[in-house]
Amino acid sequence: MRIGVLLHSVAVVFAAHALSACSDSGAQGAAAGKQVRAAGYSDGGDSLRLLTHDENLPAGFPLTGQPLVLRNPHEGDKAAMTVGAQLFIAYNCIDCHGADGAGAVGPSFQDGRWHFGGTAGAVFESIYQGRPDGMPSWGGRISNDQIWMLTTYVRSLAKSDISTENFTGETVERTGH
Amino acid sequence: MKSTGLLFVAMLATACTKGEKQPADTTRGASAANLRTVSGTKIAFPHAGPPGEWQMPAGDYSSSRYSELASITPANAASLHVSWAFSTGVLRGHEGQPLVINNTMYIVTPYPNVSYAIDLAQPGQPLKWKFRPENSQQAIGKACCDVVNRGAAYADGKIFYNLLDGHTVAVDAATGRQLWRTKMGDLVKGETITMAPIVVKGKVIVGSSGGEMGVRGWIAALDVATGKEVWRAYNIGPDRDVKVGPKFKTFYAHDRGKDLGANTWPGDTWKTGGGAVWGWLSYDPDLNLIYHGTSNPGPWNQDQRLGDNKWTAAILARDADTGEMVWAVQTSPHDLWDYDAVNENILVDLPIKGKTRKVLVHFDRNGFEYTIDRATGEIILAEPFVPMNWSDGIDLSTGRPKGKPEKMPSEGKHVKDICPSLEGGKNQQPAAFSPQTGLFYVPTVNLCMDFESRRVTYIAGTPFIGANAPEKGGPGGYRGEFMAWDATTGTKVWGIKEPYPVWSGALVTAGGVVFYGTLDGWFKAADARTGKVLWQFKVGSGVVGNPVTYTGPDGKQYVAIYAGIGGDMGLLIAGDVAANLPYDVRQRGTTLPDLSRWTSWGGYLFVFSL
Repeated sequence: MRIGVLLHSVAVVFAAHALSACSDSGAQGAAAGKQVRAAGYSDGGDSLRLLTHDENLPAGFPLTGQPLVLRNPHEGDKAAMTVGAQLFIAYNCIDCHGADGAGAVGPSFQDGRWHFGGTAGAVFESIYQGRPDGMPSWGGRISNDQIWMLTTYVRSLAKSDISTENFTGETVERTGH
Repeated sequence: MKSTGLLFVAMLATACTKGEKQPADTTRGASAANLRTVSGTKIAFPHAGPPGEWQMPAGDYSSSRYSELASITPANAASLHVSWAFSTGVLRGHEGQPLVINNTMYIVTPYPNVSYAIDLAQPGQPLKWKFRPENSQQAIGKACCDVVNRGAAYADGKIFYNLLDGHTVAVDAATGRQLWRTKMGDLVKGETITMAPIVVKGKVIVGSSGGEMGVRGWIAALDVATGKEVWRAYNIGPDRDVKVGPKFKTFYAHDRGKDLGANTWPGDTWKTGGGAVWGWLSYDPDLNLIYHGTSNPGPWNQDQRLGDNKWTAAILARDADTGEMVWAVQTSPHDLWDYDAVNENILVDLPIKGKTRKVLVHFDRNGFEYTIDRATGEIILAEPFVPMNWSDGIDLSTGRPKGKPEKMPSEGKHVKDICPSLEGGKNQQPAAFSPQTGLFYVPTVNLCMDFESRRVTYIAGTPFIGANAPEKGGPGGYRGEFMAWDATTGTKVWGIKEPYPVWSGALVTAGGVVFYGTLDGWFKAADARTGKVLWQFKVGSGVVGNPVTYTGPDGKQYVAIYAGIGGDMGLLIAGDVAANLPYDVRQRGTTLPDLSRWTSWGGYLFVFSL
């Protein structure tokens, strides 16, 4: 079972990595053929290098290369958060994840809990490669820099823990479809 | 009971809307003894198969949800009890209903749309088979309003149903073996399928969902034996695609003209204009017409689609052999409030002004009940059945609503307090009709909303909405009402007010009993004449499915209902009724802030008998 999980995870990473080696043809309009380095995400010249998730590796698993680490170039940046909030509406994220990320078709971002990991790198990957419950893959459709700004915004939405419901707490306005 | 009282008080405080038109209510001051019935009525086409079976989603082509079974009566309903129950193995919204054929019950779950054949003839109701279709997980995030399925159809020893990922399947009713599987919708464009098909003259009729995703809605017919597509009609676009031709003789002049399905849109915006077919189908064998509604236009932001936006938010009559359109009634031309017209069309013969009229009765999202001549599309009457404030009524000379400008939102014009809300005065939960009382039994919703439009970009496979529309309790201190309705005059006969929107369908029987469920998890039996609640049982999870009744192998009458809150109410509005997703905790919504005190997600079938 463990092996199965591991293999799946590696396969997904390979697929994402292969995509990221392509030129960035997102909304910023990179010139055709020009190789734009994905900010902090990949090394365009080495499509076979593994992006490892240490938490999925059994103890003693031999590492074959230097793992790549995703770093958000806009980590904590207020201006990026503001742009990210605008992109959240512009790319229709809002209608699945709800106003202010309160949750609708897709999960809430306000609860501080993450289905596929809440690190900047994990959130970037969720947006970049999509997730199986219907989250589209945005890698190659919008620029990696925009994905990082969305990541910055989405991660800023987490509020205090709301895991206990006492029916006196806050409520949010929700739109049905 | 004490806490329910407190709830009512709390909701009164939220009922802040003024100026709405209240439906005519004849119950005030009326005693049970003088409650009205309507004589001389008839269900247009009878129950399918023996009275003890349930072979079609609504029991018959007329969509009456009426059963001849009469063992359960107002005199004995109080002794109803659980006979057996079955876990579907799936949480999420359990809309739709089982089928019962030849002592076998067939049920379809929400995504992943597993189907079960339950052997009613054996003690303990073992499975005959369980079928797990191939069904893409991507579909989960393409479905606007939970991953529901509204049930299967049956014909020629085959079970037919739709998969959320856009396929239609046929399964051998005896073995559970898949006979064919046809791709009908494209997930990449946001097309899913949630509706229950019907089978007409050797063809399975299916339609698309995705009105919130900028799809181009269609209805299609597949060959029962092979699964091959026989015809497909789009609901928007040029005449050739929407199948408007020589047979199209609609009643109102403004609905006639060339390519209205394209010309009533700016530019090519019809290509992403919605008009899906996710609701219920009816069929008139004499006229050979299929009746279906179409969904809202997309996007919700009206500035991006000026014009009538035909044929969205409309009731359409189509030739069953070819799909050709014969008449159309656009209940909400240029819809501004997400008022889909997909609710069921109930085919009955009613005495109106001294004449028996062959009509179609439709309770629209826009809050009006329409009584329509089902041969011509003439609106005979249209009256509001819930608190409604967006219109001054329907002009019967044109068939068009008289909208109030102050309730019309646009970009930069934020409108408050529109009733009903985008959930409609009634949503997909189907009503029932009894020829004994001549009355319709209608699950309704009493919510209002504010509406703020914003510009939206079409991105394939993502929501194409462009609006924020928070909802709140409507006037009167209740959020739903189960009512008996006289469609010959457009008046309410009695009503049972509920603290939450009534999102379950109705069933009415020759025993004079009507059944429905509530979002807070009650399943209820009421007297069809008086509206007196005779019995109720707490099924645990909110009811959004539709009751059916059948005769068991022991000769007893049984009533079956799903318990499993979901759909718009469970997934989007309540926000907080799930407990199986530790990575997704949601704050309660202001619309139904207390619902999760009473219910959580579930997935059960309950079966009751005396």
